[in-house]
Amino acid sequence: MPSTDPVTPTDPATAHRPAGATTPTGRRRAGRRPPAVLLIPAAVAAVFALLPLGYLAVRSLERGPAFAWEVIDDERTAQLLGRSLALAAVVVSACLVLGVSLAWLTVRTDLPGARAWSVLVTLPLAVPSYVAAFAWLSAFPELAGFTGSALALTLVSFPYVYLPVTAALRGTDPAQEEVARSLGHGPLKTFLRVTLPQLRPAAAGGAVLVALYVFSDFGAVSLMRYDTFTRGIYTSYRASFDRTPAAALSVVLVVMTILLVAAEARTRGRAGHARTGGGTARPAVPARLGRWRAPALAWCAAVTGVAVLTPLATLGYWLAVGNSATWDPATLLDTAATTLGVAAAGAALTSLLALPVGVIAARYRGRTARLLEQSAYAGHALPGITVALSLVFFAVRYAEPVYQELPLLVCAYAVLFLPVAVAGTRAAVLQSPPVLEDVARSLGRSPLRVLREVTVPLAAPGVGAGAALTFVVCMKELPATLLLRPTGMDTLATRLWTETGTGAFAAAAPYAAALILLAAIPSYFLGRHRT
Amino acid sequence: MRRPLVRRLTALFAAALLLPAVAGCGVDEDDAGLVIYSGRNEKLVKPLLDELEKAVGTTVAVRYGESAELAAQIQEEGGKTKAGLFFSQDAGALGALSTKGLLEKLPQASLDKVDPGFRGGAGDWVGTSGRVRVLAYHPGQVAKVPDTVHDLVKPEWKGKIGYVPTNASFQAFVTGMRVLEGDDATRTWLKGLKANEPKVYDNNLKVLEAVGKGEVSLGLVNHYYWYEQVAEKGEGKVKAKIHFLPGGDAGGLVNTAGVAIVKGSDQAPVAQKAVDFLLSEKAQKYFAEDTKEYPLASGVTSTVKGLPPLATLDAPKIDLGKLESLQETLKMLQEAGMV
Amino acid sequence: MTDLQIAGLAKAYGPGAAPVLDGLDLTVPGGALTAVLGPSGCGKTTLLRIIAGFLRADAGTITLDGRTLSGPGVHLPPERRRIGIVPQEGALFPHLSVARNVAFGLTGLDRAARRRRTEEMLELVGLAGYGDRMPHELSGGQQQRIALARALAPEPALVLLDEPFNALDAALRTGVRADVRAALRATGATALLVTHDQQEALSTADLVAVVRDGRVAQCDTPHEVYSRPADPWVAAFVGDAVLVSGTADQDMAATALGRIPLTDPPGRLREGVVLLRPEQLRLTAPDAAEASGTVTDVRFYGHDAMVTVAVDGIDEPIDVRVPSPTAARPGERTGIEVMGEATLHSAAV
Repeated sequence: MPSTDPVTPTDPATAHRPAGATTPTGRRRAGRRPPAVLLIPAAVAAVFALLPLGYLAVRSLERGPAFAWEVIDDERTAQLLGRSLALAAVVVSACLVLGVSLAWLTVRTDLPGARAWSVLVTLPLAVPSYVAAFAWLSAFPELAGFTGSALALTLVSFPYVYLPVTAALRGTDPAQEEVARSLGHGPLKTFLRVTLPQLRPAAAGGAVLVALYVFSDFGAVSLMRYDTFTRGIYTSYRASFDRTPAAALSVVLVVMTILLVAAEARTRGRAGHARTGGGTARPAVPARLGRWRAPALAWCAAVTGVAVLTPLATLGYWLAVGNSATWDPATLLDTAATTLGVAAAGAALTSLLALPVGVIAARYRGRTARLLEQSAYAGHALPGITVALSLVFFAVRYAEPVYQELPLLVCAYAVLFLPVAVAGTRAAVLQSPPVLEDVARSLGRSPLRVLREVTVPLAAPGVGAGAALTFVVCMKELPATLLLRPTGMDTLATRLWTETGTGAFAAAAPYAAALILLAAIPSYFLGRHRT
Repeated sequence: MRRPLVRRLTALFAAALLLPAVAGCGVDEDDAGLVIYSGRNEKLVKPLLDELEKAVGTTVAVRYGESAELAAQIQEEGGKTKAGLFFSQDAGALGALSTKGLLEKLPQASLDKVDPGFRGGAGDWVGTSGRVRVLAYHPGQVAKVPDTVHDLVKPEWKGKIGYVPTNASFQAFVTGMRVLEGDDATRTWLKGLKANEPKVYDNNLKVLEAVGKGEVSLGLVNHYYWYEQVAEKGEGKVKAKIHFLPGGDAGGLVNTAGVAIVKGSDQAPVAQKAVDFLLSEKAQKYFAEDTKEYPLASGVTSTVKGLPPLATLDAPKIDLGKLESLQETLKMLQEAGMV
Repeated sequence: MTDLQIAGLAKAYGPGAAPVLDGLDLTVPGGALTAVLGPSGCGKTTLLRIIAGFLRADAGTITLDGRTLSGPGVHLPPERRRIGIVPQEGALFPHLSVARNVAFGLTGLDRAARRRRTEEMLELVGLAGYGDRMPHELSGGQQQRIALARALAPEPALVLLDEPFNALDAALRTGVRADVRAALRATGATALLVTHDQQEALSTADLVAVVRDGRVAQCDTPHEVYSRPADPWVAAFVGDAVLVSGTADQDMAATALGRIPLTDPPGRLREGVVLLRPEQLRLTAPDAAEASGTVTDVRFYGHDAMVTVAVDGIDEPIDVRVPSPTAARPGERTGIEVMGEATLHSAAV
C-alpha cells in the first residue's frame, strides 16, 4: 500500500504540456475553413493565375502526350534544367545576403542617410534584366556566361528580398532582441539567432520570387549567352515557330515551380512568427554602428553603385557616343504617363487579388489554403511570352471585346505578378498576431469588417510594399505588353525595345533612365511612411 | 499613425484602377480599316507605313512586336485574328504561318513582281526587301579578302574574326549553309570556326566598329549596317570596308523581309492594296534609301552609292521558306558552344 | 443574469489525435466570476476558444442564457455571440488609440453615446483621460485594464479572460486582479477566467472549476475546492497537500499521524489516502504528540514557514506550515499533531 500520493503534480505549469504546443496567439487556425468573404475572391485570383496552365495543357497535348513526353524526356532538357537550377541557386543566395544585410542596415541601425539608402537600394528593380546584362557586357565582355548572368540577375532582383525583409524587420518586437542581448548574446549573435529566424518567412517568400524570376528570365541570359530552360522555350518559339514543344517545356517549369513553392512552405514549418504579445511593441532603438559605420556605408554604396550606377553609366555612355539621340521630350513624357497609368492599374488589381490569397496563406492551414497559395505561384516561372500567348488564347475565345484593350493588359499584369503581391501580403499579415482578429470578432465584427478594420490596416505597410514592387515590375514588363497592349500604346519598356531593336542606344537611354527614375516614386512613397 | 497610410493606399488603389482610362491612348483598332502586325521595327518602317495609310485610303493601325512572337500570336488567334497584314522581318516566320495554312493566297500579279527566289513556295507571301550577308574587313590588316566563308576556318584568321552568334541573320546564314551543303559540312565548318576563337559581339554594329578599330580583321555582318554608318558618319570616317562574297557562297545569303495577308480578317481587299503598295516603286525606293536594304520588286534598283545591284551579286539560290528550320541550326550552334 | 451551460463538449485536433476536451460539462452561474483552473495543456484554452466561437467543437452543446451558441448543427460565429474576451497581454489593436480600442465593439451607437460609454469604461478601469494614448504608451497593467474595458464596453453576456494577469509582475498583479474583479462586479458581468495559477483562481473567483485531461474534475466555491477536494490530484493542484494512508473507522481515520476526524462519512471506503493541508499540522515537543520525526528542511516565506519532517513510520517526508518565525532547525527531533478535519480518498485514482 503506497504511503503517499503517487499522482502529486509537482509543477502544474509544465505538467500535461503537449509537445510542440505553440502559444495561443502564435498559431495558425488549424482545421478552420477561411470564410467565404476571403475564399471567393481568393478563388477568383487563383483561377486568374491558373489560366496559363489551362493553356499549356491544351497546347502541350495538341500532338498527343507521347510527343510532349518526347520533348521533355531529352538529355538536353535535363541539362537546361540543371543550368537553370544552378543559376537560381547562386542568384538566390546572393540576393539573400544583399537583401537581408541592406534591410538590417537601413531599418535597424544608425546608418547615416538610412532613408535615402532605403529608396536607392530598391531602384535596381526597375532596371530591366536585359539592360543590366547589356551594361555589364559592354563594360566587361568576358563576363558572358554563367558569371555575367548571375551578376546581372542578382543585381536586378535582390530588392525582391530586401523589401519584404524590411517590412518584417519593422514589425518584429525589439523586446525579443533585447532579451537576447540580456542573455549574453552580442549584436551579431542576436541577429543570427533571434532576428534572422523571425525574418525567415519574409526572406523565404522573397527568395522564391527571385528563383522564379531567374527561371523565367530571358533578357539577361540571352545577352549573356548562358543557356537556360527559358531560353530553350524561347528558341522553340523563335527558331522553329512551334508552340507545342514550348508548351511541353513550360509544363516542366510549372512542375518545378510547384515543387519549389511546396518546399518553401515546408521550410516555413509550423512556427508562428507573430508576436506573442498584444501588438504593442515599441519601435526599435537603432543599433549603433560605431566603427562599423564606414564599412556599412561602403557596403550600401557599393551595392547601389554597382546595381544602379552601372546601368545608368551605360545609359550615359549611350547618350554620349550615339548619334541617334533625336528623342522627343513630349513623346517621353507621354510614354512615361502611360506607363505610370497602366503599371499603377496593374499594381492595384494585382494587390487587390493578392490580398485574400495572402491573408489565407498567412492565417489558415489545410489543403484549401495551400492550394490557393500554390495556384498563385504556379505560372510565375513561365516566360512572359508563354503567359502572353495563353491570354491571347483565352481572350480571343472568351473575352474578345477586351482583346488588345487596356483591361486585358491590366489583367495580364495581375496574372504575371500575383505572387509578387501575395508574398508581400502574406509576410505582412503574419507579422500581426491573429489574436487581434479574434478579439475583433468577439466584439461583433464580421469577417469582412475584421479584414477591413484590423487585418489590412495592420498589414498595410507590407501590402503597400507588395504593391510598390508590383508597380515597378509592371513598368518594365515587355513580352505580354507587346502582344496585349492597345494598338498604338507605348510604355517605356516597349519604347526601349523599339529603340534598342535598331541599335539606337542613345535614343533608348532616356526611356531606360525614365524607367529607373519612375521606380523611385513608389520607393520614396514607402520610405516616407516609415515610423 | 498608420491610419493615414491605409487611407492613402486605398485612395491610391482606387485612383490607380481608373488611371488608364485617363492615360489611355492609341488608335481604336475597331475603327481601323487595316491592322498590321509588324515584326519590323517601328523605327525602320513607320514613315513608310504612314505613306501606306495614305495609299490604301483607310485608317491603318500597326502593332509592333518580334516577328516570331507575332507569328505565334496569329496562330493562337486562329481564325479570329485582328491582323489583316503580317509584315515580317524574316522569311522563317512567314514560312511557319504558310505551313499552318493561315495565309491568304496572293494574286499572281503581286507575286510576279518579285523573283521566285524571294517569295513563298505556296504563293502566300512575298519578299519586300533583302539583306545580304557580307564580310567586313579592315583594309590595313587584310591584303586579300576571302571569297568564301570556308576560308575563315584557316589558321591565319585565328582570333581575328568578329561575329554575333545570337543574331538572327547569322543563324539564317548557317541554316542557308545547311540547305546548300548539308548538315555534316555545316557542323564541321562551325567547329572549325569555333576552334579559330572568333570574338563574340552583341550586335552587327559593334562588329563593324571592332573591325574599324582593328580589334578584329574580319566581321560577319549584314550589308546595310555599313551603308548606314557611311550615311551617318561619311565614307571617309568609316574605316571598315565590306566584301560581297561571289560564286553563290553560303556566306553571301540574302535574307528577306516579307509580307502576307492573314486569313480570317475581313480586311483582305485593303490588305491587298497594302501589299501592292509595299511592292510599289515608292516603297521599294524607301527600302533602298532609308533602310539601305535591297529592293526586291523588279524594275526598282537601289540608288545607294556603291551598292552593287542585287542581280550581280551571285547570291546562293535557296528556298527561303526552308529557313524556318532554325531549330536544328540552333542545336548545332549549341553543340559548337557558340550560343 | 445569464447562465453559461456547457454539456458533453469534445474536441480533438485532427482525427485519431488524443482528445483535448473529453466530454466536458460546466455550468457558470450568471453574475459570477468563475475560474477555469488547470495545468497547461489540460484543454482550458481550447475550451475558451470554443466558447468564444473561434474553434468548432466536435460534440457537445454550449448555451448562454438559453441561446444555443454551439451544438449539433449550430455554430454561431464569434461576432454574434455577445462574448467579450480579454486575451493574454491584452492584444490591444496597435494601430488604434486607447479610446478607439475601447469603442471598437460599440457599433450601433451614435457618436456621443459611444464617447460617453468609452469614457465610462475608462473611468471604470481607472484610466480616465488615457483615451488619446496609443497602446504602446501604456504599461502592461494599463494595457490589461484597457483590454477589459474594451471587452466590457458592449455589455457582453459573458466575458472570457485568458490568463490575463500572466504577463504582469507579482506586485502589479494583485492590484490589477482586484481592479478587474471590482470592474466585473460593478457591471454585474458573468465572467470566465482561465488560469493555471491556483492562488489567482482561489482569491479572485466566486467559483473554481478544476479541469484535468479535458474534463471538469471539480466545480465549487474556492473554499470547498480547497477544503473538500474531489480527489488527491485536485487537492494537490489547488494547494499544498499532505497525503498519508489511512484506514476508516466510523467518522475517523487511523493514520501514522494518529486518528483524524473525517469531514464526510467514509461510506464503503475502508482503506485510502487521508488528505490534510500543511497548516492543519502543528509541531510539538518531541514525544508530546502521537507522531514524531526529524526535521529535514525549513523554508522561510516571511508570513510563515514550511518545515519538512521525516515522520517515523512514513516513507515520504511531510510538510508542516508553521507561523513565522520558527525555532525548528534541520536535524532536530519534533512531534507532530493534527488539527481539524481531513478527507479520505480512494488510493487508486
